[in-house]
Amino acid sequence: MRIAFLLAVLAGGTYYTYVAFADLNFLTRTGRLGPGFFPRSIGVMIVLLTIWALSDALRQGRGDQADAGRWRDVVMLMALAVCYAVTLRVFGGFLATVIYLAVTLAVLNRGRPVQNALLSVIVPVVIYLLFDRVLNASMPPGLVDILPI
Amino acid sequence: MDVFGDLLMGLSIAITPINMLYLLIGAIVGMVVGVIPGFGPSAGLAILLPVTFGMDPTGAIMMLAAIYYGAMYGGTITSILLNTPGESATVASTFDGYPLAKKGRAGPALVMQAVASFVGGTVGVILITILAPMFSQVSRSFGPPEYFLLAMMGMLTLVVMIGTNWKLGLISALIGFALGTVGVDLETGQGRYTFGSAELIGGIYFIPVAIGLFGLGELFYSFYVGMHRSGSGGIVQYDKEASFWPSAEDFLTTRMTMVRGSILGFVVGVIPGAGATIASLMAYSTERSVSKAPEKFGTGEMAGLVAPETANNAASSGAMIPLLTLGIPGSASTAVLLAAFMLWGLRPGPLFMEQNPELAWGLIASMYLGNMILLVISIFAIPLFVQIIKVPYRILGPIVVVICTLGTFSVHASFIETYLMFAAGIIGFFMRLYGFSPAALVLALVLGPLAEEALRQTLTISRGSGMIFLERQASLWIIGVTIVLVIVLPLMSRYGRSSGTAEKAGT
Amino acid sequence: MFNINNTWLRNSLCATLVAAPVAFAAPTYAQEVYPSADETLDWTIAFGPGGGNDIMARTIIDILKKYELYPGDISPENRAGGSGAVGWGYLYGQSGNPYGISTTSGSFVTTPLQADTPWQPSDFTPVALLATDDLVLVVNGSSEIQNIEQFIAAANAGPMNIGGTGTVNVDFIVPTLFAEKAGFEFEYVSFNSMADQTTALLSDALDAMVGNPGEILGMIDSGDLRPLVYSGASVPAALEGVPTMGDLGYDIGVSMPRGLILAPEVPAAVQDWWIATMKKVVETPEWADYIKTNTLTPTVIYGEDFRTFLNNTKDGFEVVLRSVGAID
Repeated sequence: MRIAFLLAVLAGGTYYTYVAFADLNFLTRTGRLGPGFFPRSIGVMIVLLTIWALSDALRQGRGDQADAGRWRDVVMLMALAVCYAVTLRVFGGFLATVIYLAVTLAVLNRGRPVQNALLSVIVPVVIYLLFDRVLNASMPPGLVDILPI
Repeated sequence: MDVFGDLLMGLSIAITPINMLYLLIGAIVGMVVGVIPGFGPSAGLAILLPVTFGMDPTGAIMMLAAIYYGAMYGGTITSILLNTPGESATVASTFDGYPLAKKGRAGPALVMQAVASFVGGTVGVILITILAPMFSQVSRSFGPPEYFLLAMMGMLTLVVMIGTNWKLGLISALIGFALGTVGVDLETGQGRYTFGSAELIGGIYFIPVAIGLFGLGELFYSFYVGMHRSGSGGIVQYDKEASFWPSAEDFLTTRMTMVRGSILGFVVGVIPGAGATIASLMAYSTERSVSKAPEKFGTGEMAGLVAPETANNAASSGAMIPLLTLGIPGSASTAVLLAAFMLWGLRPGPLFMEQNPELAWGLIASMYLGNMILLVISIFAIPLFVQIIKVPYRILGPIVVVICTLGTFSVHASFIETYLMFAAGIIGFFMRLYGFSPAALVLALVLGPLAEEALRQTLTISRGSGMIFLERQASLWIIGVTIVLVIVLPLMSRYGRSSGTAEKAGT
Repeated sequence: MFNINNTWLRNSLCATLVAAPVAFAAPTYAQEVYPSADETLDWTIAFGPGGGNDIMARTIIDILKKYELYPGDISPENRAGGSGAVGWGYLYGQSGNPYGISTTSGSFVTTPLQADTPWQPSDFTPVALLATDDLVLVVNGSSEIQNIEQFIAAANAGPMNIGGTGTVNVDFIVPTLFAEKAGFEFEYVSFNSMADQTTALLSDALDAMVGNPGEILGMIDSGDLRPLVYSGASVPAALEGVPTMGDLGYDIGVSMPRGLILAPEVPAAVQDWWIATMKKVVETPEWADYIKTNTLTPTVIYGEDFRTFLNNTKDGFEVVLRSVGAID
């Protein structure tokens, strides 16, 4: 996984550097430092350093094999967070938060349905009151307005 | 000019019951706004500016100023408890603040943070009171060459951040610089890495990246190490015996840190545009270089928290100087204050303090009182905040996700930025897992554009010659201070140390 | 909690609305009478705080609030960067949203000429041109240069550094045209905001800068900045004694259009509501005060005429910028 992450950084860095050389000028037409000066320098350094770090990682081999259980929890939490991001767009800040908390707490905090239900409602209500009523800040609006708030 | 006469007159204006009430409201609102990730002082001020319409200008400006520095007090609380800085000026406070909380010293860390904020804020106001005219000279001696040098000084902190694995640390910083180049180029107006997207024209905003990398990234990592399964405990197995109050040692070891942080922070804050972020970073790296045990920084050293906290609060006071003496807003927050002045028909400029002595001195006097009020509020509120880390992680985790998400959205009401925050969270987890430095990335993202713009402006002005850095007095001063901080002070403290620790520090 | 609305006034305002169906409104925005008190008006300020655009936006917002001309909340946001490309790009992305609004300045015309912006000025829904303003060339108060003749002589001896906000902007066009007519050369230094460039000038990093007089009047009054020449047709009272470029025989005839625009594809009823509202705004004493203290020329044009004005200005600027080689 470490190697995969470094390869991803290398791919991103290479693309960044390619665009810097292809689209951005090193100097402006009046001979000043152009828009490409910094991106080209940064890009080349990222690529070189990442290759170096990659060769180190390959030499060390794949030492850090974590057990599957750890990964399962993290991946699940990430997946839930991504689902939250999607429901946010659809249902709006309030409802999405209620759903997200209800589902996530049901998974993580098993066997305490009353506590979970209370938290899933109270937390969004408190945040809504604080943001929308007191601070006059915006909560994400939904594409589907189910609740009249 | 009798400074104390002016100050007494200011106090007599500030201390009326109605103005004290405004001050109290401002301080509380500022703290609440500061605690929410995403809301910084400028967002808080902009949101609450309309509330002050119809109020008398003196009371209104006192309240707005209290929101401004109150947010600086509140901003650190999540940095310490959740590793989530709400704005760039409190990034440095996570470096040692969060490790302190993990060590079970959240209570003392929060109290020391409030004390440091109070000292920084109060020293700042004292310096405004007696030295405003002198410092207005400082704020008018900074041009692009000096901003470039300042940004470079801020970047020295990166060296500290990069830590043990320099290759991965440097890659992290370079990714931050790369992200900082996204957007329309200031000089030519050409789009860089915008791919025709209107959303990217403005570049990548700092707040979602910081909240994602630190807040969510840390959260995912905690789940990876299995913190949510650790029975009833919260972020740390909070020891019931552990003292809520800082020890005498905490105060003794950090008293000089507070002095250095206050002065450094104030001076940097006086410079328009440099502000609290660079001040807090410089204070952190200074403190590390004068420390007898620099290797302890980043593992929960009290001085590592106190330094940036004193500095960012002193800087927020210092930023009032260009505003009051020149009418130049040094930061997004003071710009909102400037707009407020103008809405009341006041014309900030060099003659402002002379023409509006009641308002100017009332404001200055109110800042003394405001800092005291905030210290008291903090001390009372801290026991409540400490409860947060006693909440079991399996419950706290999802709630942190919610607060980070909604806080990020509320800043610009942007879904794109909210998604960016999630992406940064996932990337932050892998960075943390594989030994990269999220802090270096975030700092490079803040400082990179500043450095690039200032360097290109400087070279245009000097027709490409680097000699300009040696020809300007202010530049020479910065170079001199940098040499002292980076070379002289570490050498001195190294000689002062016993040889055993010195060898250890070198590894 | 803080929304203090006058129900009576809101009702009477709603009554003035054309009750036409809101044809283009995106599904996110409730299809009810415009403006709804529940929707926050998202006011984009395409430049940093403290600049001319910022002051104008906040003045209008202040008037709208004071006279309760707008029923809901107004949230002004500084979305600065890329000579305005950022802020107006954001507004462009709000197509069809009747609650996205922005104030314009010269960059609204010049930025799309030079940068590859996805939007053009004519894409937006025009409300009104409210004023034009002109620039003043200033040097540091401690400078040896006392007047414009000395400035031109000094500039001929060696090129000066002149600062301004943004690159392809009236801040660049005005000194460029002036230098061309007066026969001197200079280096232009682009800054993000008026605050940055003023600091740079005070630090003597720059030799001179151009800026809106309204933003630097405090420092002109105190003698910290010395005005040399004004680009407008007549000198405002606050700058008495300063020659115009026309007085010197170098008339350039370029000024910055300050107006109000909505997001693209906004229903005509919304546009009409804003035109009617702005007609009230420009009648207020606060607006007259703003025009006076900021040394603007009140030039009011509404609706589609404003779009035509923008197109004409853009064509004019294009010719200028091409002739100096700033755009290809």
